[in-house]
Amino acid sequence: MASRKEGTGSTATSSSSTAGAAGKGKGKGGSGDSAVKQVQIDGLMEMMRSLRHVNIDHLHVGWYQSTYYGSFVTRALLDSQFSYQHAIEESVVLIYDPIKTAQGSLSLKAYRLTPKLMEVCKEKDFSPEALKKANITFEYMFEEVPIVIKNSHLINVLMWELEKKSAVADKHELLSLASSNHLGKNLQLLMDRVDEMSQDIVKYNTYMRNTSKQQQQKHQYQQRRQQENMQRQSRGEPPLPEEDLSKLFKPPQPPARMDSLLIAGQINTYCQNIKEFTAQNLGKLFMAQALQEYNN
Amino acid sequence: MSRFFTTGSDSESESSLSGEELVTKPVGGNYGKQPLLLSEDEEDTKRVVRSAKDKRFEELTNLIRTIRNAMKIRDVTKCLEEFELLGKAYGKAKSIVDKEGVPRFYIRILADLEDYLNELWEDKEGKKKMNKNNAKALSTLRQKIRKYNRDFESHITSYKQNPEQSADEDAEKNEEDSEGSSDEDEDEDGVSAATFLKKKSEAPSGESRKFLKKMDDEDEDSEDSEDDEDWDTGSTSSDSDSEEEEGKQTALASRFLKKAPTTDEDKKAAEKKREDKAKKKHDRKSKRLDEEEEDNEGGEWERVRGGVPLVKEKPKMFAKGTEITHAVVIKKLNEILQARGKKGTDRAAQIELLQLLVQIAAENNLGEGVIVKIKFNIIASLYDYNPNLATYMKPEMWGKCLDCINELMDILFANPNIFVGENILEESENLHNADQPLRVRGCILTLVERMDEEFTKIMQNTDPHSQEYVEHLKDEAQVCAIIERVQRYLEEKGTTEEVCRIYLLRILHTYYKFDYKAHQRQLTPPEGSSKSEQDQAENEGEDSAVLMERLCKYIYAKDRTDRIRTCAILCHIYHHALHSRWYQARDLMLMSHLQDNIQHADPPVQILYNRTMVQLGICAFRQGLTKDAHNALLDIQSSGRAKELLGQGLLLRSLQERNQEQEKVERRRQVPFHLHINLELLECVYLVSAMLLEIPYMAAHESDARRRMISKQFHHQLRVGERQPLLGPPESMREHVVAASKAMKMGDWKTCHSFIINEKMNGKVWDLFPEADKVRTMLVRKIQEESLRTYLFTYSSVYDSISMETLSDMFELDLPTVHSIISKMIINEELMASLDQPTQTVVMHRTEPTAQQNLALQLAEKLGSLVENNERVFDHKQGTYGGYFRDQKDGYRKNEGYMRRGGYRQQQFQTAY
Repeated sequence: MASRKEGTGSTATSSSSTAGAAGKGKGKGGSGDSAVKQVQIDGLMEMMRSLRHVNIDHLHVGWYQSTYYGSFVTRALLDSQFSYQHAIEESVVLIYDPIKTAQGSLSLKAYRLTPKLMEVCKEKDFSPEALKKANITFEYMFEEVPIVIKNSHLINVLMWELEKKSAVADKHELLSLASSNHLGKNLQLLMDRVDEMSQDIVKYNTYMRNTSKQQQQKHQYQQRRQQENMQRQSRGEPPLPEEDLSKLFKPPQPPARMDSLLIAGQINTYCQNIKEFTAQNLGKLFMAQALQEYNN
Repeated sequence: MSRFFTTGSDSESESSLSGEELVTKPVGGNYGKQPLLLSEDEEDTKRVVRSAKDKRFEELTNLIRTIRNAMKIRDVTKCLEEFELLGKAYGKAKSIVDKEGVPRFYIRILADLEDYLNELWEDKEGKKKMNKNNAKALSTLRQKIRKYNRDFESHITSYKQNPEQSADEDAEKNEEDSEGSSDEDEDEDGVSAATFLKKKSEAPSGESRKFLKKMDDEDEDSEDSEDDEDWDTGSTSSDSDSEEEEGKQTALASRFLKKAPTTDEDKKAAEKKREDKAKKKHDRKSKRLDEEEEDNEGGEWERVRGGVPLVKEKPKMFAKGTEITHAVVIKKLNEILQARGKKGTDRAAQIELLQLLVQIAAENNLGEGVIVKIKFNIIASLYDYNPNLATYMKPEMWGKCLDCINELMDILFANPNIFVGENILEESENLHNADQPLRVRGCILTLVERMDEEFTKIMQNTDPHSQEYVEHLKDEAQVCAIIERVQRYLEEKGTTEEVCRIYLLRILHTYYKFDYKAHQRQLTPPEGSSKSEQDQAENEGEDSAVLMERLCKYIYAKDRTDRIRTCAILCHIYHHALHSRWYQARDLMLMSHLQDNIQHADPPVQILYNRTMVQLGICAFRQGLTKDAHNALLDIQSSGRAKELLGQGLLLRSLQERNQEQEKVERRRQVPFHLHINLELLECVYLVSAMLLEIPYMAAHESDARRRMISKQFHHQLRVGERQPLLGPPESMREHVVAASKAMKMGDWKTCHSFIINEKMNGKVWDLFPEADKVRTMLVRKIQEESLRTYLFTYSSVYDSISMETLSDMFELDLPTVHSIISKMIINEELMASLDQPTQTVVMHRTEPTAQQNLALQLAEKLGSLVENNERVFDHKQGTYGGYFRDQKDGYRKNEGYMRRGGYRQQQFQTAY
């Protein structure tokens, strides 16, 4: 997805002097290929060095990622966040949606992996059984951390200043009635994910069928063996040696379920997005209607 | 050495001193050969009889020779090896030996070997010098031979007691002795060789020189040939020896001469002799040249013989003074023909020989029958000239072949009383009895068919871009002329089957040629004047359409083999299509039902079928029937192997998949270059027709999830175009089409037009059509129409209503056309609109769902399938569907239809994991 390239993953540092738990993104580069990651780490290290240089008390608490129509629940994010959280217990990932923000509502969310998911990730076992045992669903993959934004007084002053200067239209972008294709885009993305999900399920389905078929074969084989042994016993011959069944019947490779879990999570996000968006729009429409009636 | 021995035995056999040796090979050979030289048949049979015994003995003698050589250089290891082989060979020859007694030469080698080994054994000094391998071999060999010789003890003792009588044997013995002594007292082989050489060349070469001088000219050729063979193994030369027509003595002498070098291995000596010979030969040659002039007939024949044994015998047949009659010539002919296909026969010489025979026959007025007969054989030998099926005739051969066939046809036309046919038996031939009709065996049709094949082969193997190809192509007219002549001939005399075959040949040479004359005539309608009518009457015969019609109809009516008819139909269709008679071509294709069963045909016919389909598609395109064009070309183009399917080249990709044999077969199937269909034209036609179909379709089904691609290849091209990071102006034909498609998508017909029809595309594609301008006008019109449709599909949602006049202005189409296009769209429910007649406007109904609605619908469908899939997973978990329903009964029943599934989804996700 193109969005991933836009996403700039970097560090969020919380320091005593910069107010608030949520720092500002200070790195460059995005997640994705290793070269970029290298740059990211370099940037991170440099930032840390610089902070130490000016003798600022700082704590590395995570990273941030920008997103495009809320499509951030990916494997890459999971892996990065896992490694952060594994190294630093209290790490968070900040998800920033520039498009939504441009529409008038600041979209900034902080997520952490749930302890359950952390355990699963630590095991590196994404087989259906393991996930079942861990009793994990897409809903319990990430937990949202509430964000409180605190600015220094100077910044607050600046904000006030800016607000006075800005035009009315800028301020009420929130009230724009045009959906600006947001809904369509979301639907399309949702559809893509649903397609992926479908494929995944089909894959899982074939796996299941294969396993059950093999189970049957195994069973038949065992029965035949048993019968033969019975006959042999009756004839006084020694029973056939037990063969390793797992060698004879190699169980099919179970498909990794983590992907479908992630897709499900992503679908959930999209649904939430759409729900939110339509609710807002409906509200706006009602408002507009009422306004018109009132004017008339 | 064996040579000495054999010659020795030869003389011995004459003097019948030792009975054992009577049987050695050259004796039999020479003995039997001499009187038989004139008749080949007998000689052949003789050869067969000889072979079993001779082969064995020859094997033995060869082995013995190597052993003696090894002995000479004191290579005991080699001796051991060869001795073992000798033992085996002797075992093989056992049956013959039982019959004939132990051959003397065998005993001798055993005795000599033993002596030699004993000498070596006792020579302590020499043994020390020997290397390890040799010493080891020596002891083993000594033991072996001791053991082995026990069986032959009596023979050996008798041999030792029996003093050698023949001078040759003495010489040999001497040599042996000297050899042995030199081995003993000196290490230098050179000295021994020299002494040996001296001794030997004294007697034999002196003798041979004497003989040589005596030898007459006729012998010279054979001498030469054998000269060359000197350095080969003895066996081949001994064959030729046996065939020598000189007296036994000469043979003996020459054999001496030649074999000496081989046996003693001394190159120097041989070289010396060769020089001698060369000198002599030179002398003789000059002498001969003089003689030749005097000797008219014989001399002529001499020259032809060219050193081939078989040919050599020929002059005997037509010895001076022999009256040349039919019988003689025929016998001669048969003789020559018998050599055909045999190994070692010089095919070129054979052809020349036959040609000379024709000359002689003509000179002696032997009548046309004989000449026809010989000519048939000449042509056949010309075809045989290349033993390999893959190689093609050399140009000179090809020219000869054409000439020959032409001459043959001349004779056949001039003499209507000659009957030719392959069903005439050799015995019932009548070659000279002028009273009755002459009957000759041979099939002119086969010859012509073969000629056609050769022509194809030549064309296949010539670089199509060279001048050479053009040169070869000029022969096509000649080939056609011959075919026409044969056709005329067969129409008179041939059976229907033969006529069908020759007609097919004619068709195959006609169908792919565009008849420009007829085309011109069509373009300029007859003015009604008497002159033009006359012209037309004249041209009628030449009009290929009429010709094709006539030939094909004959074949349809008379042919009984399916293949010829199939080919004729395909060619007929091709010809129709080439001349833009689309409906005839299509009807013929559909009526013949070829499409159903063509996959059972052999590859060449399938290639022809593919070619025909392609031509049909191109024809449809020229007529403006894009849909038909697309359908006809779809199969060929979608595979991406058009080149291969049309037999116009092999794909590199599949090169690894086939082995060499297959590749050769495939190469043979290739269509010669002048029959090729331009692949770029083909692709362009396909892509443009795909564009004209696909773009409006895509526009109409923009948001339809289930829309299908009409042409995969076209989509592929579009995708390739999209993937390009930087779009420059189009270069290739494909890029042009892609760019045009993009313009068309926007309804911008002018840009589209400029992309499709411009200088580049004209040069690449459109000018290749015979009626280029007509095609271009058709294309412009099509582009306008389809662009209009696309425009309406794409932008109808923007309009409330649109005036038809505006549309007709935009697309430069006249109002009725616009009206008809829109009406058609409305009727087909492609466009939700109605026409407002008074104002000439199209009023949109706007009933089409919006983009978001469409998306929602699609999403709903997808979710439906997702749920279904998910339920299937559950089936597995629960065993049966029913069980699952029972479990979920309560929560399930409340909801209905699709909603129920949607609402249900969340639950399922949770339970599924």
